[in-house]
Amino acid sequence: MFFASLRESFGFNHKQIEVSKNIRTLNELLEHMSLDKESPWPDLTKNKKCYRAAINQELSSWDDNISDGDEIAFFPPITGG
Amino acid sequence: MTITITNKIFNTDKLISCILDENSDVGATVCFNGFVREFSNNKHLDYMFVEHYPEMTEKSLYAIEAEAKKRWEINDVSITHRVGKIYPKDLIVSVIVASKHRNNAFQACNFIIDFLKTDAPFWKKEVSNDGSFWVNDRAEDHEKKAKWSSI
Repeated sequence: MFFASLRESFGFNHKQIEVSKNIRTLNELLEHMSLDKESPWPDLTKNKKCYRAAINQELSSWDDNISDGDEIAFFPPITGG
Repeated sequence: MTITITNKIFNTDKLISCILDENSDVGATVCFNGFVREFSNNKHLDYMFVEHYPEMTEKSLYAIEAEAKKRWEINDVSITHRVGKIYPKDLIVSVIVASKHRNNAFQACNFIIDFLKTDAPFWKKEVSNDGSFWVNDRAEDHEKKAKWSSI
């Protein structure tokens, strides 16, 4: 799932992704998806310090493990209130 | 606890009345109201657009309320946040805390809004004559949240 500026960059708010079981962490997922040089993934990966991620609606770090069926969200820093 | 995410103008008087109807032994309510400012970086704002991540918003607000209840004796909490298009001077967020004594309500209300600003997944976009841009997070908000770890 993508929110705010990332939703606009990607042009959609969600996408189902199938990857090999060798992809175990958010970092590995970013690296894998960045192979598509024409997509916004390389930019997200390069600037990941400026963004946040959540796994199953919990704020996560880029080293956190991902599992089959997880809902993963990428977004810029939160600015509510 | 009541969480309301709405795209409509809301009234905090009604929310306070609900808290008083549903709780006994309330001696104080503290209400923080946040409004959309008319100017941002000296530019007149046409409107603010607020987006959120619904499932995570609810989870994070319940977690913030649970932490507040561990720290202070409070009776009830009501959090309302607008989403969608919001015009200057409109209410964007309210946090109402009810407690037996005022100090707990003041502290818990302050704690909840500090954590809401950095942990509850809402994003604001400012729209003016000059175009639109997503609002950046502020170091000051992260510092305010961090101060609670030593309290």
